[in-house]
Amino acid sequence: MADPLLVFSEVEHRHRLPAPKPWKPWASRRGAGVHGVTLALYPGSVLGLIGPNGAGKTTLLRMMAGVLPLQSGKVTGRLQQNETVEVEDLRTWAGHMPEQVRWQGRLTVNEALQQLNDMRGQSTQRIGQLLSLVGLSDRANEPLDNLSQGMRQRLSIAAALLGSPRLLLLDEPFNGLDPVAAEAFAGLVRRLAEKGVSVVISSHMVTQLEGLIDRIALMHRGQLLDEGPLEAVEKRLGLDGRYRLQGRGDLRSSKVLESLQNDVIAWEQDDETWSLVLRGRPHDALQNCLDSDLEMTSWAPVRPNLVEWLCAATGMSLDDISLEVASSAMLPLQATEVSEDE
Amino acid sequence: MSDARRVLKVARRIRKERLSNIRLKVMLPILLLFLPGLAWGFSDPNIVLPGGHQPDTSMEVLFYASLGVVFGATMCAVLMAFDGVSKDRASGMLEIQLAQPMPRTHQAAALIIGHAQAILIPVYALLLLTVIVVNHRMDAWPTLTETLVYALSTGLIVLWYTLFALLASTTAREQGTAIAFGVGVWFFFTFLWALVTSMVAYASGVSVGETNDPAWVTLEGMLDLLSPNGVYHHLLETQLPTVDRGVAAWQSWLAAAVWTVLPWWALHRRMERLVP
Repeated sequence: MADPLLVFSEVEHRHRLPAPKPWKPWASRRGAGVHGVTLALYPGSVLGLIGPNGAGKTTLLRMMAGVLPLQSGKVTGRLQQNETVEVEDLRTWAGHMPEQVRWQGRLTVNEALQQLNDMRGQSTQRIGQLLSLVGLSDRANEPLDNLSQGMRQRLSIAAALLGSPRLLLLDEPFNGLDPVAAEAFAGLVRRLAEKGVSVVISSHMVTQLEGLIDRIALMHRGQLLDEGPLEAVEKRLGLDGRYRLQGRGDLRSSKVLESLQNDVIAWEQDDETWSLVLRGRPHDALQNCLDSDLEMTSWAPVRPNLVEWLCAATGMSLDDISLEVASSAMLPLQATEVSEDE
Repeated sequence: MSDARRVLKVARRIRKERLSNIRLKVMLPILLLFLPGLAWGFSDPNIVLPGGHQPDTSMEVLFYASLGVVFGATMCAVLMAFDGVSKDRASGMLEIQLAQPMPRTHQAAALIIGHAQAILIPVYALLLLTVIVVNHRMDAWPTLTETLVYALSTGLIVLWYTLFALLASTTAREQGTAIAFGVGVWFFFTFLWALVTSMVAYASGVSVGETNDPAWVTLEGMLDLLSPNGVYHHLLETQLPTVDRGVAAWQSWLAAAVWTVLPWWALHRRMERLVP
């Protein structure tokens, strides 16, 4: 693999929360955020930043974009000749697409992009090109108030691409996109990655990222649980080699369940159809099914969902992790012995 | 592109957006009434002010008409700039802007210049009309120095209120707080400052409201240096030879510089620490 474009080492940013006291009404305390995250970003790679709500994905993306300062840790990389990367470098070379920007006002699409372009001090020649890339060229002179949610999302993508970024940070980019636009967007991300752009996509919907990401970073409660190439992390967490078989007939009366006993993770039987999830060598399972009198209609590998990733990475049960995800913002950060109050 | 050019370019876009805003169309009649309207009234040859005073020079009329600036133009500055940052924060645009490579201090400068220009353009146009009205009614132009001091002082007070409103806008997380803070500051200096002056005078053993008492006049003059409206009137009084409230011209200009630099610096600091 190529040398990393950027390496974030032990970076931390914890939000200030108001904690007024009668004698000090402006007092604040350190709250949740991101701590101790070490992560390498590679050119041409698409990294999926996965985690439940409140995991710290947006905070980490904002740190990568130079919007939030690093309270500790450092960034090194190959953006400039100098290996140390300053916040200004991140803002210059990273394209940042925040979640759900409500583009509004009487400015036209073209003017809104020109305004950002002025802040970058660049020529306006690329704007037309970008608008056509995201499919908004026929809306260039439309006021922002007239745009639909999907169009606003496309405009956010165009804004992120303004400076020809070497690092593209996308926060929940699929929100508000219809399936056609989502597919077109995925294609655009792939093309950018082929050109050597390092892409980071945050999402809590793993299925949306299937076939798009080649690396994964699992975040939970401000910490990075695991990170690496997709297959490697799956293997490390024991989530690889899972298959779903579906078919017609009575699974219970066949000998399949018995013969695959050690490999079966879950199975279901309806009146006519059955479904079986198992781990192991697919060849053995398929052979077993073919040898029985069961009719098999489909066979496909099973990718883990968010909860499975989290269960595997934390070692917690499904029930515990569900409760944890729902209430993570309120729980103290016991896992790393970092308290929310200081 | 040089940094200064980039700042001016961004400021120009902010100004353009604000000038085309419907808010300005609502403010224009108010400004028209408060600036040339007051000048029209005060330049009436038969006017007798409370106390039997009759303004007899064009600068004196402009001084009295400056009430319109204090009441109208400053309020419009607050209403123009109160959502300068908070609106973008609420819409998510602030995050995109903060992610741009333009230094935060430059972004702050562009915000200040753009918003101040947006309110100063109509105000200066109406000030020109005010001077023409005064000349029409009194057949006397103010001198060049008087006009320049009047224009500069008005520009400064509008800038100060713009800075207060923008500061509030960076602090507030929603529009209501931003406008409450901006209007609150305006209300305090415009209406409540007299109360502050009276309380300090009372505590200092000075007879409150005794306009012939030199101790009261001096105390009021000094306390006015702590209020933007007071400094504005001190600056205008530098062109009224008959007025002496115990504050030297250099003290008034120094106070004006402090009122400009301090909130500007505070806004720079706020912008540097701003989180979306």
